[in-house]
Amino acid sequence: MGVMRIGHASLKVMDMAAAVNHYVNVLGMNKVMEDKHGNVYLKCWDEWDKFSLILTPSQEAGMNHVAYKVEKDSDLDELQNTIEAYGTKTVILPEGTLPSTGRMLQFNLPSGHEMRLYAMKEFVGTDVGSINPEPWPDSIHGAGVHWLDHCLLMVELNPETGVNKVAENVKFFTEALDFYLTEQILVGPGGAIQAAAFLTRTSTPHDIAFVGGPRPGLHHISFYLDSWHDVLKAADVMGKTKTRIDVAPTRHGITRGETIYFFDPSGNRNETFAGLGYLSQRDRPVTTWTEDQIGTAIFYHTGDLVPSFTEVYT
Amino acid sequence: MWFDTRPKVIVHVCQTQEDFPCATSESLLAGMVKIGRKGIPVGCVNGGCGVCKVRILEGQIQTLGPISRAHVTHEEESKGYTLACRVAPSTAVKLEVAGKLEKPFRKGLASKAGSSIIAPTTNLKET
Repeated sequence: MGVMRIGHASLKVMDMAAAVNHYVNVLGMNKVMEDKHGNVYLKCWDEWDKFSLILTPSQEAGMNHVAYKVEKDSDLDELQNTIEAYGTKTVILPEGTLPSTGRMLQFNLPSGHEMRLYAMKEFVGTDVGSINPEPWPDSIHGAGVHWLDHCLLMVELNPETGVNKVAENVKFFTEALDFYLTEQILVGPGGAIQAAAFLTRTSTPHDIAFVGGPRPGLHHISFYLDSWHDVLKAADVMGKTKTRIDVAPTRHGITRGETIYFFDPSGNRNETFAGLGYLSQRDRPVTTWTEDQIGTAIFYHTGDLVPSFTEVYT
Repeated sequence: MWFDTRPKVIVHVCQTQEDFPCATSESLLAGMVKIGRKGIPVGCVNGGCGVCKVRILEGQIQTLGPISRAHVTHEEESKGYTLACRVAPSTAVKLEVAGKLEKPFRKGLASKAGSSIIAPTTNLKET
């Protein structure tokens, strides 16, 4: 019923060879195909659909769109009705618009970001298969990320003009897409301004997140790892490959995730994280972080806000 | 400072009156970060985020990689603007910081940044 999980992200990169090298040898993804326009498609070893990342050649960095997978093809029609009734225009992109992918429902979030929903993507299986699988494949390389887990989008927030796309996106996601809120940061007098929000459809703390800033953009795409030690190993891989680390391994207050942030060769931020934090459920009370504890909410150990973390994005 | 024999030149940041030595084989920004100096804002260090935008006033530079055209247009580049993370100095360089960090939650900034609203994908190459 409805949205299941994040399906893929499409990112703009300025040097394709460097980008593919990064996502294959640092993250540990596998290149699965390249189309005639030069777009490259990749997947993680523990994912069973054809791809979860599209890299497109561009003269700038950033995100083209993010796509989520729904359970049934009929969900696309139902969600189209719901989203149109909400007041958001939608377009159906026919099967074949993206390779190995069925028809897609395309629309823009209140924040302007392009989102797509689809029900079908070619099944290729995980690298360990589904019959008596080994815990991990012998072909594992780089950080060996399991799957694309979530993304964080920067959205416009300007209390002076009353623009708050965080709150608008939360309303859209809860009312039109049936996501639910797990955590939020409230700022301003009486905590009246929702400055960040974390929402989910699965039982994990977040499938998507929004943080308010001066302009819309991509903050990061995030990949799942098993353990804290895997986060350390990911950092070792980054040291070895001279990958630009943004924030060395630490823990988030929000979601309790164990994390490392770094940049791809075009400056798009990536995260690999471990720890699913807690079992997220619809009746779980929403966790709220207050303005005086924003540092702790983001980087739990030091409580220091690293300026580049909130001010630098593509 | 650790012993470092690489050929270096002096980089001068006008606003902060900061001088730092930078190897001719590394970017202006990497050189600054490596020795713990400040002056040019540090972002992704990979040419994408645009916060290290500078204008080269004097000196010769060598390009190290692509820079995001969302932040430096071809016209700006012809006037000396570039990203400090993507150029290495060939000679002593004098520069001014052109970009400004956009503070989230800071008043009055969002309206200025409103022009960069993301448009739906129209470029055929983008999927």
